[in-house]
Amino acid sequence: MTTGPGLDALSIEELRHRLHDAEETLRAIREGDADAVVVRSADEDTVFALAGGEDSYRAMMEAMDIGAVALDDQERLLYANAAFCALIGCGAADLQREGLFARLDARTADTVRGTIVQARDGRHQTQFVQTHDGADRHLMVTAAPLPLAFGIGSALTFSDVTVRVEAAVAEESERIAQAVIASANEAVVVCDRSGRIINANAAACAVMPGALIGRPFEQAMPLIFPNGSAATRTEDLIAMAGAGKAVKGLEAFAPFASPPKDLLVSVAPLRLTGEAPGGSVITLIDLSERKAIEKRQTLLMHELDHRVKNTLTMVLSICSRTLSGSDGLDDFRVRFTRRIQALAATHNLLADASWTGIDLSAMIRSELAPYLSSSGPRMEIGELDRSVAPDVAIAFGLVVHELTTNAVKYGALSAESGCVTVTGRQLERDLYEVAWTESGGPHVKMPRRHGFGQTLITRSLARGDGTGATVDFAPGGVVCRMILPIEGRA
Amino acid sequence: MDRSTELTLYVAGQTPKSVAAIRNLERICKEYLNSSYAVKVIDLKENPRLAREHNIVAIPTLVRQLPVPIQKIIGDLSDTEKVLVHLQLGDAA
Repeated sequence: MTTGPGLDALSIEELRHRLHDAEETLRAIREGDADAVVVRSADEDTVFALAGGEDSYRAMMEAMDIGAVALDDQERLLYANAAFCALIGCGAADLQREGLFARLDARTADTVRGTIVQARDGRHQTQFVQTHDGADRHLMVTAAPLPLAFGIGSALTFSDVTVRVEAAVAEESERIAQAVIASANEAVVVCDRSGRIINANAAACAVMPGALIGRPFEQAMPLIFPNGSAATRTEDLIAMAGAGKAVKGLEAFAPFASPPKDLLVSVAPLRLTGEAPGGSVITLIDLSERKAIEKRQTLLMHELDHRVKNTLTMVLSICSRTLSGSDGLDDFRVRFTRRIQALAATHNLLADASWTGIDLSAMIRSELAPYLSSSGPRMEIGELDRSVAPDVAIAFGLVVHELTTNAVKYGALSAESGCVTVTGRQLERDLYEVAWTESGGPHVKMPRRHGFGQTLITRSLARGDGTGATVDFAPGGVVCRMILPIEGRA
Repeated sequence: MDRSTELTLYVAGQTPKSVAAIRNLERICKEYLNSSYAVKVIDLKENPRLAREHNIVAIPTLVRQLPVPIQKIIGDLSDTEKVLVHLQLGDAA
């Protein structure tokens, strides 16, 4: 192992010392304390790395699938493994000759140098985008200090993380898409090419409760389309999307929903990769509320039209009958105006109640109020907690007006001691009797002629089924019994 | 330890034990040798013939040249106590 001066020339002490060195060397090699040895020959001395030392270390580095590079403190390349050479598309000899940074583009070189600087106090990692062969790729460079015999170099590893980054982006995109679908107000159903449901958000589950995933769309949601629609059957939606066609705003009816719903349906092809549709995306907007509003609006328009016509007919009738019973234009003007005012007052009460029905006692109080005072005629109104339909209310308002006019002219309201008592009584079915009873007024005589007022009183409330009014000109005071169809308690 | 302490570490490039020996010797000097001393690191990969001066065979080897007698220890110097006792450095000197 060693050569030197002839052993004969050495002292015993020196020989013992040499023997100790030799034994210690063998022990160190045997126990793995040394990983290199110097072998001397006549021509030259050579250093060999021992098995398990540098050779195995390099073998391991070469076997790695990530690029590994070692630089000294002057950025000189000490080592680069095969994976790194493959990553940058450069032969090992060229790389060794030219150096690392000569083979990197300016931006990548800056990034690597920056990472090395950041790694002076410890390991540092940077991810960056590099254009390679005309395409972008994501690289991760990790730098760590590399203690060398003479100075501190850098150990670098390079990994192509493009697949990982793209997978993360795709995963994030998928997550966002799922969140968008889940939080959409509209029902969204996604089907595969065969028309089976692969995704359905909460709004879709509200339309069709139960498990939807995996079921054919036409079975899960058998929609009914109106005549003339672009789709006649639910299957048509899937077929349209399969043919790459998008259709918007088809009205459809969902009888299976609870309650059944009117829907606005749109379908679009699901584009994943390439041109061929990977399935279909169907959105369903619940039109039930809008439909209900439209129906209500149409109904209101018809009702308004009907009421305006009725009112005009009534005004014409009042006009003509008032004219025929008047003593002159002045008399006509006064009576006609009062009747129209009574009609207007009833309209006001109806408008206040949004034309949904009117309280009888409110109408009577409104009509009689101008003629009552603390010292004058009195009014007693019993419990009349009933409401009537708008057309009955208008008729009732006019009747009360006529009764009031008569009472003011000839009856209880013409005397200070007079009193008008109005009471109500529930009859069978939905009929209600209102009794107008005058007392305390002048002696009543049967009128000589049957005027418009009386006609209005006796006829306007007649709607069949026992409804109508009768007037009794009793000597003690007029009694009018009106039987009205009622809607219920006010 | 006096100013006459001289240490020479023989390494072989960047073999793991050479690198570890350099690191450990730096630490030992910093922590245990509080006065003047001289350390020399010789890379035998660069010039293997330098091994002859101290008859070095196994690498890494640390040689205490001064004070005499010369002492050697082979290995990566990770066993600090062994290094201090063997080379009679620091408090062990």
